[in-house]
Amino acid sequence: MNKKPVVAILSLTCCEGCQVAIMDLGERFLEFLTKVDIGDFRLIEDLPDVDKYDIAIVEGTAITKEQVKRLKNVRKKSKILIAIGACACLGGVQELKNYRNKKEIIRQVYPNIRGIDNPKIKSVKEIVRVDLEIPGCPINKEEFFRIINEFLQGEIPKIEQKPVCEECPRKGKNCLLLLGKPCLGPISLAGCGAPCPTSDFPCDGCRGPREGINLEAMKKALKIKARLDDKQINMLLERFGKRNEIINNQLTSNLPIGRQASNK
Amino acid sequence: MKIRIDHIAKIEGHASFTADIVKGDVKSAKIKIEEGARLFEGIMRGRNDVEIPELGSRICGVCPVVHNLTGFRALENAFSIEPKEDAVLLRKLMMMGQLVNSHALHLFFFSLSDFFGFKNDLELINEYPEKTHDAMKIRDVGNKLVEIIGGRTIHPLTPCIGGIRKAPDLEKLKLIFNECKTVLPLTIKLGELFIGLKYPDFQRKTSYVSLTSDKEYAIYEGDLKVDEKILKPVEFLGKVKEFQSGDRVAKRTNIVENLPERQKEHSYMTGALARLNNNREKLNSEAKKLLEKANLNFPLYNPFYNILGQAIELVHCFEESIKILEQIIDKQMDLGEMVVENRNGKGVGAIEAPRGTLFYDVKIKDGLVENINIITPTAQNIANLEDDLEEFEKIGGFKKLTLGEKKEKIKMLIRAYDPCVTCAVH
Repeated sequence: MNKKPVVAILSLTCCEGCQVAIMDLGERFLEFLTKVDIGDFRLIEDLPDVDKYDIAIVEGTAITKEQVKRLKNVRKKSKILIAIGACACLGGVQELKNYRNKKEIIRQVYPNIRGIDNPKIKSVKEIVRVDLEIPGCPINKEEFFRIINEFLQGEIPKIEQKPVCEECPRKGKNCLLLLGKPCLGPISLAGCGAPCPTSDFPCDGCRGPREGINLEAMKKALKIKARLDDKQINMLLERFGKRNEIINNQLTSNLPIGRQASNK
Repeated sequence: MKIRIDHIAKIEGHASFTADIVKGDVKSAKIKIEEGARLFEGIMRGRNDVEIPELGSRICGVCPVVHNLTGFRALENAFSIEPKEDAVLLRKLMMMGQLVNSHALHLFFFSLSDFFGFKNDLELINEYPEKTHDAMKIRDVGNKLVEIIGGRTIHPLTPCIGGIRKAPDLEKLKLIFNECKTVLPLTIKLGELFIGLKYPDFQRKTSYVSLTSDKEYAIYEGDLKVDEKILKPVEFLGKVKEFQSGDRVAKRTNIVENLPERQKEHSYMTGALARLNNNREKLNSEAKKLLEKANLNFPLYNPFYNILGQAIELVHCFEESIKILEQIIDKQMDLGEMVVENRNGKGVGAIEAPRGTLFYDVKIKDGLVENINIITPTAQNIANLEDDLEEFEKIGGFKKLTLGEKKEKIKMLIRAYDPCVTCAVH
């Protein structure tokens, strides 16, 4: 008899919305629980940890020293490590401080900063090797469900490299960018199903850049159509840590961009 | 004797607990928050005002709707804008979905196992398959309420200054209307299950803080009610002192009372139990019936009943959703976004999150965030929880409990507060 794969779902610092998205699978989540052995999932159990995981699913960024240690330990004991969500894949909104003076920012929040960790925010792949990234803020639970099932069936899942525009119902004459809204759809990786532009909300790139983007064309469109200046464009690209990702990708342009994550 | 609990499971986020037991007395009870600081109030400064709700919702994936809407309420108050009536109804409906989704998660998946002694929800699921499916169904309908109006369940998209950006699909509203009616009896059944549970015997007098309103069981709007006093949100914040203690990373809050001869500070509790204590007469009829069945005396000073409070609110929320949906279905809604020319001002937003009153206090200059302070329910509740734990030896039968049993009871109390650690730090 085949043994069930041991799966752990771990959370570093973040909103935990990606874990919630997994639970939002509802009945399908319950069914998933029957197909695996849970190695660690603090949201639903209070049991001692196990030694090895077949698959570790990690959300969030490691901010405290404890979390960095824990992440490295999880990597060691996992066959496959999947980073989920904008925080784990890109750094998330907390990475905004990387673009400014983080010492000044912490003083704006706390009168006494002693003992409060304030490192530069790093995505998971900047700390340990990542086997696959499922991006998004939050993740698309349907995409997560497809990918995790492919893993369980021994397949190697992939996220197709195409822009959010291809999934956008406004594609064509209703395009938000053409209507003057600062939409990052053309450079952002699809797979989310374009919920934002569907709700008249311009894409702000929470899934990070797709492969082979033309950043200059994007910037030009944002300037001409949405009337943003360079500073505003940078602020927009910073929101989920995408700016950093684009810069890193340009520096290492021989590596595949984004999703099949790089080695560390 | 030292009591130490590392990594408390089944709460939102990471925390641990330490205390000493000296001659049967609990001393130095401290919750230690193990979550990193994301510095939201710092990173929002200098950015566009409308990013407050969008970034703010990322504080918490369990209650993103309330962060989002409280951000908008603060901005609207700063700019002296009254959102359109129809949009307010939709926002209220979203809040019902928010409470349902969070309460259902906490009640069934975080709390219930404690009463049956399960260490793992899988045992609970196997033992009570039918109840599990009911809980999943209830949560699912709550999620759909948020999704239909907000564009998605986590980190909503449609709210905007002055309203809601996009009208929900009418067919979907009709479907969810029927689903709300279908699950209402399920929530009553679940409520009865929670009435039947044996809540630990523990009492400590404290102040209960929540919004209150003449019109309804206040969730989306109202003034603050504190020990029978009614205060505007701004006035209340004037009495609240934030302070760092222990872990420092999660600020605690106290109410400061100016007595004639001196100042007095004390902790307070917010959340379902506070709302029940302050506003129970305003509950919808089925929820009220359920509360009567529970046969409780008010004011209710046992924090474990926060759990039952949530179960009763679950019923209220579906009754309220049905009421709101009756008003908006087949109505031509006036929603749109408002253009704000003068983007300067100070404003406070206050909404009842699942775990209590959430405050956003903002100052905007020329459309940019000059200053922002966010006070979350859990940040407010930690001091009260620590004060409860400090008197934990008063819990019924404490002396007879083994160390392991004491720990279980302590974890149970912590979970009864439904703490959201990611909110507490933010």
